Amino acid sequence: MTSLVQSVDWVAVAPVLVTALTGLAVLVTDLFLAPRHKPLLGWVTIAGLALAALCLIPLTDGDRATFCLTTGDRQCSYVADHFALAVQLLVVGGALLTALLSVTTVRREALPAGEYWFLLLSSAAGAALLPASRDLATLIVALEVASLPAFALVGLRRGDRGSAEAALKFFLSSVVATAVSLLGVSFVYAATGSLHLDTVAGGLDDVDPRLNALAALGVVLTLVGFAFKLAAVPFHFWVPDSYVGAPLPVAAYLSVVGKSAGFSGLALVTVVAFRPYADTWGPALAVLAALTMTTGNVAALRQRPDQPASAVRLLAWSSVGQAGYLLVPLAAAGYHDDPEEMVGATVAYALMYAVVNLGAFAVVALVAENRPGHRLTDHRALFSRNPLAALTMGFFLLCLAGLPPGVIGLFAKVAVFRTAVDSGLGWLAVVMAVNVTIALYYYLKWTALLFATPTTATPTTTPAARATATTAPAAPTPGTATPGAPGQATAPTATGSTVAGSTATAAREPSVPASVPHPLTAAIALAAALGVALSGAPQLILRLASGTLF
Amino acid sequence: MGATHHVAADYFDGYSVVGLVAVVGVLFVAVAFGAGQLLRPTAPTPEKLLTYECGVDPVGEDWAHTQIRYYVYAFLYVIFAIDAIYLFPWATVFAADGFGGTTLVEMFVFIGFLAVGLLYAWKKGVLEWT
Repeated sequence: MTSLVQSVDWVAVAPVLVTALTGLAVLVTDLFLAPRHKPLLGWVTIAGLALAALCLIPLTDGDRATFCLTTGDRQCSYVADHFALAVQLLVVGGALLTALLSVTTVRREALPAGEYWFLLLSSAAGAALLPASRDLATLIVALEVASLPAFALVGLRRGDRGSAEAALKFFLSSVVATAVSLLGVSFVYAATGSLHLDTVAGGLDDVDPRLNALAALGVVLTLVGFAFKLAAVPFHFWVPDSYVGAPLPVAAYLSVVGKSAGFSGLALVTVVAFRPYADTWGPALAVLAALTMTTGNVAALRQRPDQPASAVRLLAWSSVGQAGYLLVPLAAAGYHDDPEEMVGATVAYALMYAVVNLGAFAVVALVAENRPGHRLTDHRALFSRNPLAALTMGFFLLCLAGLPPGVIGLFAKVAVFRTAVDSGLGWLAVVMAVNVTIALYYYLKWTALLFATPTTATPTTTPAARATATTAPAAPTPGTATPGAPGQATAPTATGSTVAGSTATAAREPSVPASVPHPLTAAIALAAALGVALSGAPQLILRLASGTLF
Repeated sequence: MGATHHVAADYFDGYSVVGLVAVVGVLFVAVAFGAGQLLRPTAPTPEKLLTYECGVDPVGEDWAHTQIRYYVYAFLYVIFAIDAIYLFPWATVFAADGFGGTTLVEMFVFIGFLAVGLLYAWKKGVLEWT
């Protein structure tokens, strides 16, 4: 009898394995580490994620598969094709930027270090496993490995009712979505007799006619769990509260890596497994996409700039809107003769979105160094306080809006738009165009706020800022990387009578944080460099959009 | 095809009995309580409205403290109960043809992960009662 033991290609699974084992190592090390050495754990995490990213390099041929059955049709459960590699790059890179953002947060909010880094790495490992899995059981397990640590990360701030409430809301709704998904998987299994995606596709081609309704229902229900992670309407209710309640880096992580788990799972089940039922999930995803982008953008439009945490809330709703764009190529795949060609546009868009959205969150974190309210009004006249941060923030926002000089945002949107037009989804293309226009309004308003004149700063924010200025630890880090010399308030924009006002503002507020943490600066610099590089050479990610990834 | 169709129909017919029992159960409770509501006289006294506790007058408030340590212990127990779910099917096949040494090692890897969990609990002081 042939051996039933499946061989393991350790090189192929290395990106996932390195991430998971680093997490385990961090958790165990934390138990034996003196409290003063705990900041080391953050750097171990960052090194582990960088190593995981390097492990992607030997896989670039995209032809490795492992955990294959040793009998029958030799289906594999883990495939490192170009789709998996692109999403793994997104996940590991996103987690790396999140880790850079988190170094300061963990220390300042006194979060339990070992647990925080362990949970972040575990979740990243799950999200990295997801795009490579090729059977429904591995998919669901990967989805849960990505989600379960995220609940704890959201609720990690001890004694904070908002944080606990956000975590509970996130947990309960997510568990319901997963349960529905599992029910769908069981229906699909009943109809096809297999969990491997390719075999499921074959089985769905000739389903017993009496099981047709069961199979179609299973297909639709399976999508629910992934649509939830993507925060597609109507599974988006948890998003604003969870983002506001969570520590800021965790919100950034959820908006990028959490979404990648959602869309990569959706792409796999629809395009690979449920291809014969394209006439069922195609329209469903198209309606979902239209609802998601419209709801997200309209709600983002209604955010009041002076409310607490309005900046995070706006980014949360804008991330719902962006999730709608991510769904468009997947919906288009349902109408196209060659569905696998469409998925590339989603991956390209997601890579662009990951870079600029994490960058935007990083700048929000930077502004919160001085004015911790996360209000949009805190960003007023950022240019006069910290021109470089304001310019990068403006660039990120324009990328999200899809306007030059955010060239890459524009090109990614065009790639998404083209999939809708190519597959005859004219109405969805129109809805998307309208939504891009709506989104322009709030992105541009925020950009304009950055460059507003400092005199108009609302008085409500200044007492808080002053309090921070006096209570902030005066530990000046030598060589603060973000340039922004004192006296910037006399910016060229300030003229005549406003000069007096702006210098007065400068006297009351620190023009530069007492010490901008280096990891935060590094995160912003990295995101900005990536964004500029992609804008200069969009073909780096846009070539994903042409041709098939599987 | 016709034969399987027949079998399937028989199979689902079996469930009609279950459905019938459920309907009869609901009806029984509804009729009993409904009839009681209609037929009984109502003459409440304070004693009648007391919570019935084995004939003894109730003591104290309806809120009570529970020791949180039990919760942590229950949690640890669940972890090791779940490992048994994996161990039992594994124990029935690992010596069979086609499995071999790798299968044996795999289970120890799994138990190793659980041991890390126990190590974590121990270092965090969960295993000490006082």
